[in-house]
Amino acid sequence: MPDMKDSLRRTLWISQVTFLEAVRQRFFAFLLVLGAAMVLSSVSLRVFDFGHGELKFIADFGFGGMFFFGSVLAVVMTAQLFFSEIDNKTALTLLAKPLSRPEFLLGKFFGAWAVLGVFVLVLAGLQGVVLWAREQELILVAEQAGKIPPTFSIVGLGQLVLLQWLRLGVVIAIVLAISALARTFLFTVVVGSLAVVAGQLQWIAQDAFLRPTDSPIYAAFLWISTRLIPNLQQFNLADALVLGSSVVEEGALISVGLSGLTYLVAYLTLGALIFRRREI
Amino acid sequence: MSSAISVRHLTKDFRIGLRGLKLRAIDDLSLEIPRGQVFGLLGPNGCGKSTTLKVILGLVSATAGEISILGELSATSAARRRTGFLPEAPYFHKFLTGRELVRYCAQLSGVAAADLGAAVEDALGLAAMNEAADRPIGTYSKGMLQRIGFAQAVVHDPELVILDEPTAGVDPVGSASIGRMIQAMRAKGKTVVLCSHLLGQVEQVCDRVAIMDRGKLVLEGAVEDVLSRRDRHVMTIEAMTPAARAAAEAALEAHGAKITSVTHPRRSLEDLFRELVTGSHDA
Repeated sequence: MPDMKDSLRRTLWISQVTFLEAVRQRFFAFLLVLGAAMVLSSVSLRVFDFGHGELKFIADFGFGGMFFFGSVLAVVMTAQLFFSEIDNKTALTLLAKPLSRPEFLLGKFFGAWAVLGVFVLVLAGLQGVVLWAREQELILVAEQAGKIPPTFSIVGLGQLVLLQWLRLGVVIAIVLAISALARTFLFTVVVGSLAVVAGQLQWIAQDAFLRPTDSPIYAAFLWISTRLIPNLQQFNLADALVLGSSVVEEGALISVGLSGLTYLVAYLTLGALIFRRREI
Repeated sequence: MSSAISVRHLTKDFRIGLRGLKLRAIDDLSLEIPRGQVFGLLGPNGCGKSTTLKVILGLVSATAGEISILGELSATSAARRRTGFLPEAPYFHKFLTGRELVRYCAQLSGVAAADLGAAVEDALGLAAMNEAADRPIGTYSKGMLQRIGFAQAVVHDPELVILDEPTAGVDPVGSASIGRMIQAMRAKGKTVVLCSHLLGQVEQVCDRVAIMDRGKLVLEGAVEDVLSRRDRHVMTIEAMTPAARAAAEAALEAHGAKITSVTHPRRSLEDLFRELVTGSHDA
């Protein structure tokens, strides 16, 4: 038990320094400002709502920014945090201490995940304020017109924040597994970005897998694809959770959460196994 | 008591290129480094010194051979807890201050929370970095980086300290300061393994040396034994006149001995530099 406690402590120290290093980067501040600008600009751009409800447009626009910039941050920042330690040889100093490689990798993961937590929380907070302000105006208009006003759910927003954070955690775990194998930052960013795109499109492979096929090779390819690549679209429940446009089935949230956690642990384990054999 | 480091038949091959061509970096190296001594590992660039240190620390895996540190299998957490390491050209997080870095390394090395403050202050004191300890590392000179690197390597009071090129790029004053730190470690009974190209300093501070070339060990022994030539003698004579020299030559010849060279003793450029430049440029 003391070993486990020491191990957790070492992981925590690595994650603390990783977090400090990441939040000091201009890249993080730049993407946070861009994301915030996108959320705030959704109010003035709501006239282009393409016939949907105003709140839905504001939510889609703001959450779109959070998904996109969050993914960019998760891929680029994680790869940068990993390769800065390898290329600058700080990893040599750290790994010569009683710090195991899985602890080092886990520390990197938690540090990067904490930064993404701040990112998601700040943007979701802004998004909540923007939605609430517009909701109040629309309630007044609806009351005067005798209509039912549109609403949004604070609880749903909280649930969505958790789901998005988990989704970005899965992306970080995938990027760390790629980093453990890759030799260069650029390769990791390119392959990591392709993995995110593949995750966003994974539902196509899932649909195809459910259809009958005569080719066993094609069926095997689809089977492997649907298990190897996480379905990142399953985390996009903004409409249902925040705007209540559709009903979220009981247990669906837990199922999505468990699926995300399974991929997160699986990719971190894979990364740790690869990193154990890497020559620093 | 077991050796500080015991290396038996160590071989390390690197695979290069897509065809997996084999490059042998270390070739059947066997070495015993006794405890409580300063051991110099010498050799030209690319001879396998740094790779040997990395294999000893478990940062690179061995192709063949056995290594133990202080009687324990190398690369284990227990062995690393008793070992300190300063890598070549160290780089640390620039946003941390020197004190924060040493504290961070102490925590990772398992120093108990109650001893943390004293351990950090001791290490900073040994490296003469107390005054600059609260400055961000990004503002440090090369010599200060080496000294703070030394502090992080010894903060957990290890029994074995491995220093890879600790004087690379450091001026003679800084280099002499690092030499004093090594001697302080020896005085505390620690084992120090020093990898350096500053042969003069190695000769001054090391008890034993090993020389590697192309991955192989070509010489190993006590500094005194490997450097002294038992068949030659040096006398330093004051106020020698031509008549005195002729008399001395005649007297020696009468006993079958012969003077082969007469020169004036020289001081080293490093001694002269240190004599003239008293202040440190690192402050």
